[in-house]
Amino acid sequence: MSFEFLRSVTFGHYIPASSPIHRIDPRVKIAAVALALAALILCRSLVLIVLALAAVLVTAACARVPIRHVLRGVGPVLPFLILLAVLQALVMPRAELGPMLIRWRWISLSAGDLVAAAALILRFSALIAAFGLFSSITGTSELAHGTELLLSPLARLGFPAHDAAMVLSIALRFVPLLAMEAEHIVKAQASRGADFGRGRGGPLARARRMLPIYVPLFLSALRRAESLALAMEARCYTGGAGRTAPAGFRIRWTDAAAFICVLAASVGLVLANRFDPDRIIILALFGAGN
Amino acid sequence: MESRRIRKIAVAGAMGAISIFLGASHLGLIPWFAGAALTVMHVPVIIAAVLEGPVVGLIVGFIFGVFSAIQAGVAPTGPIDVAFLNPLVSILPRFLIGPVAWAAYRAINKKSEPAALVAAGIAGGLTNTVLVLGMLGLLMSFPVLIIGATDSASQAIQGITWPVLGMVAVTNGLPEAAAAALITLAVVAAWKRIEYGRRGSKVE
Repeated sequence: MSFEFLRSVTFGHYIPASSPIHRIDPRVKIAAVALALAALILCRSLVLIVLALAAVLVTAACARVPIRHVLRGVGPVLPFLILLAVLQALVMPRAELGPMLIRWRWISLSAGDLVAAAALILRFSALIAAFGLFSSITGTSELAHGTELLLSPLARLGFPAHDAAMVLSIALRFVPLLAMEAEHIVKAQASRGADFGRGRGGPLARARRMLPIYVPLFLSALRRAESLALAMEARCYTGGAGRTAPAGFRIRWTDAAAFICVLAASVGLVLANRFDPDRIIILALFGAGN
Repeated sequence: MESRRIRKIAVAGAMGAISIFLGASHLGLIPWFAGAALTVMHVPVIIAAVLEGPVVGLIVGFIFGVFSAIQAGVAPTGPIDVAFLNPLVSILPRFLIGPVAWAAYRAINKKSEPAALVAAGIAGGLTNTVLVLGMLGLLMSFPVLIIGATDSASQAIQGITWPVLGMVAVTNGLPEAAAAALITLAVVAAWKRIEYGRRGSKVE
């Protein structure tokens, strides 16, 4: 077992830079990534997915985020994806489109199958890239403020939007502390001869062997929460009303423009998908096939 | 009144942080045989609900759900992770872990506190397993929402969906619920200084 938890907590992977993309209002970033993910999930055409992936990568380049960083998540899932795509292309009976490339017993492969398989792999890649880009340009405090601002309409209905955002920022602030704490605990227990994550036994025996990590970790977090509550009370924290953010968040015209771009692209993606551009291109290239 | 609310905010934040940390560091996965792993990332939700009530449990459940979705998007480990990008799978079921665990705890904590903690752990663990797998199964019936596989591929998947999910629920869900009960009992008993037979922790 490794001892370095701080390094493993790579959540966020925020890459600080002062690009126009980084400066977009966090509300717009959250809404935009939600829109883009929804549009990609609904889109099935290879041509459109390639366009969408290119748009994400161009945005990443403008934000000076390395393309490799954005696409890093694709690596681990690629073998599964390829397997899935190959199975789908070869075995699944579907309406054949374009020229038949292979036909042997139950295996049939048409140009349309190849296109569908490529679309499957690239759709995953585009989803992961969109998410990776979002997390590289949005810092944790931005995320907390953005959430609060997005939830603020609900506050009128009695939802504790401010408290919810406070919980989120406390949680994000606690994570590195807990990582350091966990490192101490694991080292301390290892120095007593503990051997975690190995050995035999059923699930319950294994869970019990992890208790010397979990119990001190939970207790230390609860103790910290207790002190924090005391400190907040001592400083007369009352939450909500009249509290302002250190940096004022105002929607500027660039934010509005960015949002409209993403909205238009997402709606366009879903609408264009209905015309099935892949089919049109294949038919234009190869005719109706055999 | 005010101090009660601040305390709830702080505990919810701390438990949310543990849930995020357990997920990000993979410390919340107890490796089992054949690459399968038991997850205990929902335990902070149960503990928050037991200590501070159903609303705090609900909020921590929300944080757990959001970060499992982000984790699935940023560092996926398998094709099923892509399903967790869908908030219907990753977030919606997690709302209920806290309230259910709290209800189970409240039902028996007057009689026996340790028994109530075990019940809360099991109820919370089973809620997580049943609702998440149930949601996956439902969405498999509308596969466009999951992986966007073609219709014919999805028909082949649909046939085996429910048996496979049922098997996972039994082989992974039950041990996970037991592990959740064990950890909830150990942590809350230590925090509230409740005696329940076993004392101190032992390193093997």
